[in-house]
Amino acid sequence: MSPTFRRYILTKLAWYLVALLAAVTLNFFLPRLVPGNPVDALMARFLQGGAGASASKTYQAFITQFHLDRPLWGQFLAYLVNIFRGDLGQSFSLFPARVTTLIGQAVPWTIALQLPAILLGWILGNLLGALAAYKRGAFDRNLFVTALALSSIPYYALAIVLLYVLAVAIPVFPSAGGYSFGTFPQLSWSFFLDALHHYLLPFLSLLVIAIGGQAVGMRSMAIYELGSDYVNYATSLGVSDRRVLGYVFRNAMLPQITGLALSLGTLVGGALITEIVFSYPGVGTLLFNAINANDYPLIQGVTLIIIVAVLLANFLVDLAYGAIDPRIRAARSGER
Amino acid sequence: MTDLLVAEDLRAYYRHGLSGWIRAVDGVSLTLREGEILGVAGESGCGKSTLAMVLASIARWPLCVKGGRLEVAGQEVPIRSGAATDTQHRGTVVSLMPQGAMNSLNPTQRVRDFVFDVLRSHDPGTTRTATAERARERLDRLHLPARVLDAYPHQLSGGMKQRVVAVISTLLDPRVLIADEPTSALDVSAQRALLALMAQLLEQGIIGGIVLVTHELPILRNVADRTMIMYAGQVSEVGPTEKVIFEPAHPYTQALMAATLVLESATKRQRIEGLEGAPPDLSQPPTGCRFHPRCRYATEACAEAFPPTLHPGPDHDAACWWLAQHLGAPQPELGARAVEP
Amino acid sequence: MLTRTRFLRTAIRSSRFNTSLVLVLLVLGFAILGPLLTGHDPNAVVGGMNASPAAHPPLGTDNFGRDELTLLMYGTRNSLEIGAIAGLAAVLLGVLVGTVAGFYAGMVEEALMGVTNVLITIPAIVVLILLSVALGSRSAVTMGLIIGVTSWPWTARAVAAQTSSLRTREHIDIARLSGSSGFGIIVRDVIPYILSYLGMAFTLQLATAVLTEAALSLLGLGPTNTISLGILLQWSLLWEAVRQGVWWTFIPPTFFLSVVSFGLLLLNSSLDEIYNPRLQGGGGSCD
Repeated sequence: MSPTFRRYILTKLAWYLVALLAAVTLNFFLPRLVPGNPVDALMARFLQGGAGASASKTYQAFITQFHLDRPLWGQFLAYLVNIFRGDLGQSFSLFPARVTTLIGQAVPWTIALQLPAILLGWILGNLLGALAAYKRGAFDRNLFVTALALSSIPYYALAIVLLYVLAVAIPVFPSAGGYSFGTFPQLSWSFFLDALHHYLLPFLSLLVIAIGGQAVGMRSMAIYELGSDYVNYATSLGVSDRRVLGYVFRNAMLPQITGLALSLGTLVGGALITEIVFSYPGVGTLLFNAINANDYPLIQGVTLIIIVAVLLANFLVDLAYGAIDPRIRAARSGER
Repeated sequence: MTDLLVAEDLRAYYRHGLSGWIRAVDGVSLTLREGEILGVAGESGCGKSTLAMVLASIARWPLCVKGGRLEVAGQEVPIRSGAATDTQHRGTVVSLMPQGAMNSLNPTQRVRDFVFDVLRSHDPGTTRTATAERARERLDRLHLPARVLDAYPHQLSGGMKQRVVAVISTLLDPRVLIADEPTSALDVSAQRALLALMAQLLEQGIIGGIVLVTHELPILRNVADRTMIMYAGQVSEVGPTEKVIFEPAHPYTQALMAATLVLESATKRQRIEGLEGAPPDLSQPPTGCRFHPRCRYATEACAEAFPPTLHPGPDHDAACWWLAQHLGAPQPELGARAVEP
Repeated sequence: MLTRTRFLRTAIRSSRFNTSLVLVLLVLGFAILGPLLTGHDPNAVVGGMNASPAAHPPLGTDNFGRDELTLLMYGTRNSLEIGAIAGLAAVLLGVLVGTVAGFYAGMVEEALMGVTNVLITIPAIVVLILLSVALGSRSAVTMGLIIGVTSWPWTARAVAAQTSSLRTREHIDIARLSGSSGFGIIVRDVIPYILSYLGMAFTLQLATAVLTEAALSLLGLGPTNTISLGILLQWSLLWEAVRQGVWWTFIPPTFFLSVVSFGLLLLNSSLDEIYNPRLQGGGGSCD
């Protein structure tokens, strides 16, 4: 590892630690800054209606968990220490379940939904975008407007329409959940088929939107590359169009790879509403329920996970770019 | 001498907004003779680089070729936008040595792979070894080591890149070479080597003729047989280089020569007289003679109609109304006005 | 830079520009005139529960028997209002931070851009969720402001880049030499040059903000005691309207959200093409 590369990594690491600290600070202070905030409100509620034995037990856990006997900065320090230990506290609404456990159960569903949609959407979108830039004319105009429409409508709009058309009006797919009511997640063929049946609609809605966004990006990158000097020069020397397009698409792919890494950062937080629409058992539904139940530790836990995923993806992109020294980055990626 | 390249009334416009045009080349005619170097000079933005692209038939959106005809080595070349171009023509009949070689090479490709792509586009049977051998010989003439073939563009300095591009542009032994500011990134000795190579290729008949676009007068003086001066997308004057530089007929050429610092004893004493104003907006060019808003001799006639082409000397053309009235009269003393208090 | 008349002439000939403008104007007309023309209070009960559009109200009624068309008019109006407040706030903050950072270079630029980059990295939806949870009740104006406050960094980054490229231009040197204050130069000599960009940034921010409001509403964090497109969707989901097949309560708001967003983004991209003909790629014609 060269000294410049080590310095680069350390600078980036420090930068992301600052960003993480900023995010954690926001995560802690934002909800507590406003008077009459939900923590206060919950306190009041517990004090008023805290008659039952179980309620007072919850109340005690609540005081200990938030260290409400300490001043605000003391609470913040305790929060930082707990995060560092991987402890996100206990849920209010599903007491005494631990927040980490609840999130741990939801995340695999979200990733299973998002990861294939992002990857496949990236591949298909890039192919279509490249094709549009290459073919131009009517194909390009139609594809561009369609792709722009798909990338500009909210990602959950398609989810709502698909749910209504293919699960309610023409009930081909189930309308809610990740698996049929009454069954339990297990490693069996029938459960897998059932889960797949529930999976297809939300997956499709995410995939189509992802294709649209990637196609728009790839098309404009390719058109930008097509206008560059080296294309002009190669053309002036009679190099065949097919070969010149080969140069163009290879070069246009470089920024698209960064784009892929960044959209992997939205793995956890990018499909919240889709899951809510389909009542899919992922992070989005968990967050929705937490918000409705004023389950503060759970909300903060989910937001923290979303932030960490995004920061991690950004950090990995920077690392990858650094590993390939910027000056030889272009060259390396050209190696066959 | 036969005419190697004949261009008549070329018009090439850039799309401006969705309905406007920037008339970068507007009615340019020129002739390149066998064995000749024709210099093309003018301020930046006068259309000389656009002209180079049209001559090399690589005009691409948003540049549109709207009219004119081009004939190279007796063959009509389809240049109008939308016309099918013969890719075999490019590089072998006419080849471009582009301006700003910095970005002319694909950043993700080794030089040798690009050279191979260029050669096999014209000769499918060629081999990597054969192309490398051919390139090595030319590189050597420009004092470049053979290892540049293994380099990626960013590993080469600006001057090296420019010379690599010069080698690739001449590798196919084109009949006509269109060189657009080929020496701008080079130091004096590299400049000399490149100009020597061009002259040598011309002498040996490997290249038939060269159109050399540049703004550097010393280079024109050294190598160009004839020089053409462009202003605002049109030809102001064309003639033997010595005449155009030292006895310019057109008021624009006179101002340009006066404004350009030429380090020659004969011209050293002349004061630099800046041209007033700026070149016109080519989306709405001036009527009549395009130079009239900046011309010190302009009359009403200049704003009304396009000036006639006159012949102030043998093989020497200039388009100017003032000249039409004063031809035969002594040329105005250059710089005379500038030394007045 | 295009002159105004040329811009208009150019714009009129672009079908993409026309389509988007018509879409945006139609939605605006619906949102502004609708509430004036409908004779109803949006919360008034006008018919039975979930009456279909086949009955008297043109778009049917919702779960409480309220007129869906009137709800849609008020919802669109409020969504656009929230979007406009957010867009304005984001552009103003972005211009403030961006021009100061771009104009003053050095430490100031590094500090401001450092903060901007940290904020760009932290996903805005998270900050919005935390802020909304904290604010027990949220008016339309509050919603607009918090969305604006979380979305300015992208505008700031672009404005800073443009300002620092302007910084070296001659007319700014002249202004500086003639003793103008930094603030004066920014207002007189920088902002006019980036005005067309700011207009485009506003349409983009407006579109994003309308969608963000809807997303927050669907998470249960929308404006309180207000009807918006997002709130209409949230109601349909809460009352299981989708699974009951009551399409007239959720298809129209979904459609309007999509049209607002698509229209504004298309407007943005067609303006971009008018300023940069290169982007037309193969779409350009030499005739």
